[in-house]
This record gives sequence, structure tokens and C-alpha cells, in this order.
Amino acid sequence: MELALKASGIKKSYGGKPALKGIDLTVRKGSCFGLLGPNGAGKSTAMKLLTGILTPDQGEIEMFGRNFRKEIDAVRSMIGYVPQDITLYDKLSGRRNLTFFGEMYGIRGSELKRRVDRALTAVGLAERAGEAVGTYSGGMKRRINLAAALLHEPKLIILDEPTVGIDPQSRHLIFEIIKDLKREGATIIYSTHYMEEVEALCDDVAIIDHGSIVSQGGLKELLEKHAVKAVYAEAEGAAEPPKLRGVTGVRKEGGGWVLECERPMEAMAELASLWARDGVSVRALELLQPSLDSVFLRLTGSKLRD
Amino acid sequence: MIWTIVRKEIALTLKDKGTFFWLFALPIVFIVMFASIFSQSGGATYAIPYVDEDGSALSGQLIDMLAEVKGFEPERYEGTGAADAIREVKEGGLSYLLVIPQGYGERVSGGEAAEVKLYRDAAADEAAAPVIALLDSVTGGLQQYKLRNAMADLGLEGSAIEALMEPAVIVSEVKENAAKADPITQIVPGYTVMFVFFIMINMILGLLKDRQSGMLARLQSTPMKPLHYLCGMWVPHVLVLLIQSVVLLSFGRIAYGLHIGDPLAIAFIVIGLAVCATGIGLMLSMLVSSENMGIAVVQVITMGGAIVGGLWFPYDMLPRAVQAVGLFTPQYWAQRGMQDVMIRGAGAADIGWTLLVLFAFGLGGLFVAWLRFRKFAMKTV
Repeated sequence: MELALKASGIKKSYGGKPALKGIDLTVRKGSCFGLLGPNGAGKSTAMKLLTGILTPDQGEIEMFGRNFRKEIDAVRSMIGYVPQDITLYDKLSGRRNLTFFGEMYGIRGSELKRRVDRALTAVGLAERAGEAVGTYSGGMKRRINLAAALLHEPKLIILDEPTVGIDPQSRHLIFEIIKDLKREGATIIYSTHYMEEVEALCDDVAIIDHGSIVSQGGLKELLEKHAVKAVYAEAEGAAEPPKLRGVTGVRKEGGGWVLECERPMEAMAELASLWARDGVSVRALELLQPSLDSVFLRLTGSKLRD
Repeated sequence: MIWTIVRKEIALTLKDKGTFFWLFALPIVFIVMFASIFSQSGGATYAIPYVDEDGSALSGQLIDMLAEVKGFEPERYEGTGAADAIREVKEGGLSYLLVIPQGYGERVSGGEAAEVKLYRDAAADEAAAPVIALLDSVTGGLQQYKLRNAMADLGLEGSAIEALMEPAVIVSEVKENAAKADPITQIVPGYTVMFVFFIMINMILGLLKDRQSGMLARLQSTPMKPLHYLCGMWVPHVLVLLIQSVVLLSFGRIAYGLHIGDPLAIAFIVIGLAVCATGIGLMLSMLVSSENMGIAVVQVITMGGAIVGGLWFPYDMLPRAVQAVGLFTPQYWAQRGMQDVMIRGAGAADIGWTLLVLFAFGLGGLFVAWLRFRKFAMKTV
């Protein structure tokens, strides 16, 4: 398995307060790696360490087989970083902003122009390229923010919460761009606190909370290993949760109950039979899909959006 | 990469209307305003309010003698009397008042000493000084007249009287650089030097904004080095200052006939000034913790330096203690260098100290900025 990135024992503190408490990350080449955690978990710090903006207090980072510290200049040319903040010059046009970032990566002349044109088309802003970025909507700015990191065709793209506060159309467009990048063989590290984004885009996931990696691995493996299997049941007039064999946990949700169990199919069948016998009017009886939200809850004891 | 950042900064500067106001329009307004006020100072007239309680021919003669002196104009006080006029002096309504008491004419014609009183506001010593000097001169002239009459009465011939009246020491005034020195050679270089330092505000705001917005962090993820960034952010402001100085000095030349002197020497001073102000500006950008702090520090440096450096008032008119402080400011050396070239005919070889001080300030600032960059970049990351 060829690795794009290997980070070992990464620690980082700010003024004595630890932001990362010794994290290990392994990112496969050509994969989309999700870094999932709530606000303040240490995602942005991790991203900045991986882009060379910050230096770790301890630990080592290897990128495409190169030592990060010793070959930082070569490594930086391979990285495209999309920060969480929209970092563009509002008074300059979209085209001018992209030209600036392209030049910062050493692209010049007609090649730069060609790539800027292509990027503007890819993010759907070719028609507004000549207007000042300050006149763009939030979604448009996010798209240019992303495009600026892709002009030099990086091997590793690091996106720090790229869809915060944008409209669904822009989010969809960004997702399509990321999928295209994956198809083209780029490696992507994607940090977010939206589990549905990780579920939609990522192959591998690391869950981070309070500066530590709680769990890491393939998305399917994580769900299989940690997700709570459960059934949702809602019936008219059911004030108490149904009592079934094999139910390990019960919680109220909405108008019904979530019944955690190892064999949800059997539990569903048993409950369906029970309610049919009792003539209960069923509103909902469904198998709950394993989600990262439940994984996170199980591993950290708190909801992802807390 | 430096050139990429330079071009970006120039593009941003050209879109900033505030820059044009602060760096070009406002200094021109100041120059025009103060040139209008002070270029007429050569023709200024001192009014001398007076109350003639005597009303004799001899008191009238004294008033006429005062009126004959260029630059002075006796004005009869229009109030109800000397008491009211004196009260106005006490209350600050008048800076001074000449009172010729009753009996003046009688005493003069009787050969006795006759007193006239000059009432003056102690807070307006400088305003009264020329009038006091004039009165001393007039009374001195009257004393000479009395002496001549006394000697004639004693039977001395005219030539003997003239020989006796000739002063022991004659002071001849020789004005150097009279053709070149005028208020314009104080105002135009003074305000040019002063407004150059306002660029520091632009620099502080620009660099802090880059840091606070996350732009600097993003640029640090590129192959950019700290020196690239610092140079890229420094050079455009040097260019702006070169243009500013050329515009303001050219304005002085075209509008007021400012004598520029050796253009090469002036060019060196302009370059030194640009390096100085931007070097200090870059340093301050690395040191201040907020925009407000930066603006406050710049105001102290700009305005304080303008006062003690002799930009607002001629350096020679400042108190000694202030002059001593001024010697440590780049503003003093820049103004002095410009005036040496414009007024005293100095050339490029004669302004070594000026250039040394300006470049020392500038390069020192750049060095401190380079040392502090890492710490600057780490804040708010």
C-alpha cells in the first residue's frame, strides 16, 4: 500500500495548552481521507501542521516518502491547501486572485492563463471572472478559494472545512470537483464536522476529539466496528418502549424509540409480530443505517455537533 | 515570487482611494494652505493700538514717526478711554496698548523726560516684541535729536556734531542665500517629509489584515519564503513614496517656483526617505498588536517628528531642548538635507550625514522586521 502521508506522534501546544496530544495519521495514496471531529477538536491545527504553516512540537511527518522537515520546499509544491477562512483579495477580481496564486506556485505565461481559465470554468465562475471577489456570494468565494489551491495540480489536496456556510448548489459543485480530483488520482485530506460529507466523499476516516485520534480506518470498517445497530419504532399510543429480547439500550427519539441491539433484523421481526398481535397502529418501524454520528457518540460520549 | 507579491500589492494600492487622499491630496492641501498664510508674512503689518490723552502736536508727531516705519501702523483706540483699553489688555482682548499721557507735549517742549506707557499682555510677549523694538528705536532717535540740539546750543558746528554722533560700532547685515530662502523652502519640503511617514499606516493595516484574514498562513503553505513576503510587501510602498515625493516637490516647483537645487542630491534624499519610512513601517507592522495601536504609534512618530524635526516651524526657532531631541529624528535630517540642497547649494557629496541617517533608520527597520517575522506570522494562526 503506497502512502501519501504518514504522521507519527504529532504534538502541538499553544502557550502550554495542548491542541494535539500525539496523533498518528496514515493516508493512502489516491484516497480521500476524512478528518472528522467537532469544533475545537484540533482539525485545523492538524491541517496547518500538514501544510507546513505550523511546525510540530514533536513527531514526524512523511509525505510521498519525503521527510517533511528536511524537504519542506519540495513537499510544499506538492500540496494544495484550502483553508477554512476564505483567503482572497476582495478588491481584486476572481481571475486576478487565481493568477496571483498560480504565480505563487511558479506557473507563468500562457500555461497559467490556460489553467486559470480551466479552473474558472470548473467552478462555474467564468462569466464573473472579471468582477471583484468582494461582489461574490459566500458560495462563489468558497469555489474560488478551492480553485486557487488546484492551479498547480497538487498531488495532495488538504481541505479544511471547505463547505462552511455555503449554499447547497456551491456545496454540490465542490463535491463534484472533489470526486473529479479523486478520479484523476489526487490524494485528498478533508476535514469537517459534517458526518454526511465524510460518508459521501471519504474512503478512510479518522475521528478526532480533544486533540486525540479516537479511531481511524476505512469508513466501512469503522461503521462496522463501532456503529450502533438499532431499530427505530414508533406506534400510536405507545407511551412505553416495547420490551424485546436482545435489546441492549433504549432511548426516546422524536415520537418513537431507538432500540439498540446486536440483531436488528430479528428485533424488527419480533416487534412487528408483537404489534400485529396486539393490534397496535404502527407509524414507523425501520432499520437504522449505521452512521458516523452514532460512531462518534459511542467513541466519545458526545454528539458530533455538541 | 517577490515580483508577484509586488504586483499584487500595487494592484491593491491602485484600488484604494484612501491612499490617494492621504498621500497626495491632503499634503497638497496643507502646502497650499500654509503657503497662502506664510508667503504673505513678508508684507505683514503690525497694528499699534494707542490712546493719545495729550492730544498735542508733539504727541501727534510721535504717532507720525511710528507710522513712517514700514510694517507698523498706529491705530487709534475707538473705545471710551484709556481705562477701558487697559482693561481689554488685562482681559486678553488686546495684546498691547500704547498710552501717551496728558502732559507729554508740555514735558517734551520743556526739555524734560516724557514717559509713554506700553501696556502688554504678558502671555503675548512674542506679539509685542516687534513693537517694543520699534519704540526703543524711535526713543533712541528722539534722544539723538535732543543731543544734537544740545550740542548746537553749546555752539558746536554741524560737522563736529556729526562726528560726535557717529556710532562707535556699525553693524552691516549681510543676507546669505537671500535669493533662495523663503517660506516655500520650509513648507514644501517640510510637508513632503511629514506626509511620507503616513505610509506606515498603510503598511501596518495591510500586513495585519493579511495575518488576521488567514492570507499569510495560506501563503506560508506555498513555496514562499519569509524574505519573499517581506520584500514583496515593502517594495510597492517604496515606489508609492518615490512617486509621492516627486509629485509634491514638482507641485512646489510649478506652483510656487520652489528652487530644487541639485536634482541628483534631492533624488538621493527622496530615495533615503522612502527607505527610511517604509523600513520603519515594516518594523512597526511586526511589532504592534493591533491596528489601533499601530495608528497611534504612527501618529506619534509622524506628528512628534514633524514638530521636533523642524518641519512645521523652522528648526532654529525651536527651544534648545527640542532641537536636541530633533537631532534623533529622521525627519530633521531629511528636512535639513533638502534645505541644504535647496537653499545652501549643497550637492550629492555634501549630504552624506542625511543619507547615512535615513538609510540607517530604514535598513535597521527592515532588519528588525525580518527578525520578528516568524513571531508575527505565528499570532492568530
